[in-house]
Amino acid sequence: MSETAPLFEARGLTKRFQGLVALSEVSFRLERGAIMGLIGPNGAGKSTLVSLIGGALAPDAGEIRFEGARIDHLPPFRRAHLGIGRTYQLTKPFPGLSVLDNVTLGALFGAGGGERDRAKAREQAREWLDFVGLAPQAAQHADHLGGPDRKRLEFAKVLAMRPKLLLLDEVMAGLTPAETDSAVALIRRIRDRGMTVLVIEHVVSAIRRLSDRLLVLNHGQLIAEGEPAAVLRDPRVVEAYLGRRRA
Amino acid sequence: MKWRWLALAPVLAVLAGVPWLGDAVLIQFGINALLIATLAQSWNILGGFTGYVSFGNSAFYGLGAYGTAIAMAQWHQPFWLGLALGAVLAVVVAAVLGGPILRLRGPYFAIVTLGISAALSALFANLDIAGKNIGLILPLTRDDAMFYELSLGLLAAATVAVAWIARSRFGIALIAIRENEDAAAAVGVDATRYKLAALILAAVFTALAGGIHAYWITFIDPAGSFDTTLDVRMVIMTMFGGPGTVFGPVIGAFVLSAIYEVLANGISTAAALFFGLVILLAVIFLPKGLIDLGGGFRALGWRYFLANIERHRL
Repeated sequence: MSETAPLFEARGLTKRFQGLVALSEVSFRLERGAIMGLIGPNGAGKSTLVSLIGGALAPDAGEIRFEGARIDHLPPFRRAHLGIGRTYQLTKPFPGLSVLDNVTLGALFGAGGGERDRAKAREQAREWLDFVGLAPQAAQHADHLGGPDRKRLEFAKVLAMRPKLLLLDEVMAGLTPAETDSAVALIRRIRDRGMTVLVIEHVVSAIRRLSDRLLVLNHGQLIAEGEPAAVLRDPRVVEAYLGRRRA
Repeated sequence: MKWRWLALAPVLAVLAGVPWLGDAVLIQFGINALLIATLAQSWNILGGFTGYVSFGNSAFYGLGAYGTAIAMAQWHQPFWLGLALGAVLAVVVAAVLGGPILRLRGPYFAIVTLGISAALSALFANLDIAGKNIGLILPLTRDDAMFYELSLGLLAAATVAVAWIARSRFGIALIAIRENEDAAAAVGVDATRYKLAALILAAVFTALAGGIHAYWITFIDPAGSFDTTLDVRMVIMTMFGGPGTVFGPVIGAFVLSAIYEVLANGISTAAALFFGLVILLAVIFLPKGLIDLGGGFRALGWRYFLANIERHRL
């Protein structure tokens, strides 16, 4: 728990699925208050990495540290209590509950075990719905929401958990350019509230504007890390995305 | 909210007054209906709120019956001590079995629970202290009014517990598990602990009902105590009334008990057929239970039933 330790650190993370190596020796750090982008082509291992950090999967080798302490043996709910919040690529609302109740659940549990009082949690949930612009739909059933609104709900739910580290798994996929702009603005406002954000995207354009730094995964290996502009000029990254240029 | 609870006071008073009518058959029907309603309400805690469909709650009922019978018939202890013994047995079994079986989901959980009662039935049929295959005879107490009031008190306690659950942080965690267990864990819900707590709570009320029933009928044996037809009735009555609601299971149990009682006075095979038909129609047209009918019909009219059919698209 030393102050000098980074908020998050992965060391030599490896994950195999029946012989197929999904992630190989992945190491990186996240400093407090940063927006880190994680990009890579389809099948690069991005979602596997999110699942390892969130605890849905266990690594075959390597370690995960959060605020200096190892967390790779902890179940997902314990990591949520420590302050790790994640969204899902395919959104996972509580379908039979109202939008407000979905977000209230985030506030009732989440970091530090959450708010004990249901009335107070509801108040916090309303504020987060306001923050993401979903307040008018508060009373609707979650499974009646359309695509972009489902993503907003996913945001509000995870923000209500008051995480220190936010993992956003392809939250901008399938959004129109205007919706992407508002998502970018939203993520900046989230960082301004002191959260550290790891943004996982398949699409490069939005993430280059948003991220302080970029990580690039390809075939389960980190092939580049650094400033977005520099990373995107890196020949290995270009090759991973566009394929080897034929002379 | 508090005033709505006061509206229940007259209902409870009328129910409590039934023994003073002096109709022995009505009191006996009442005891059976109240106890089965307690079983449905207990089943509702896990099955209705978390969606874990158990066909093994009769195991707790049997443990409650045997705990009471062993304490009273073998050790000559008072009734309340027997009830306590039965409840403790049920809690121990729920705590020991709950850990492994609650890891299973959906149909796998349901299938595993099917075996619990049969296993315990076989176990008790070979225990000397439980009277082996023959069973046990409890001391006779001819006081149906007392059994009636006890059963009513237990049902009221189980319903108060469910009402508290429905409004608590614990309850919303159970519902989150039902709606999406992985998402619940990601949000920080300790699903294992909450499911286990729900199972143990259900086990306590179910065992107490088993204990009261054992003392009332004064004779128990393995087949009658670990009776898997009870499991089917708990599930059907809760589903019929409204799973995951406070009063649905009670209403479902009362209505189906009454229908069955009326029909059983006629030709018994026709009764069984009609009973099956009622359940079939309820599942198709009222998947959220009888308790949803009032509000749903007011909002949608006859289209309510069509909307329900469309919900079956899964």
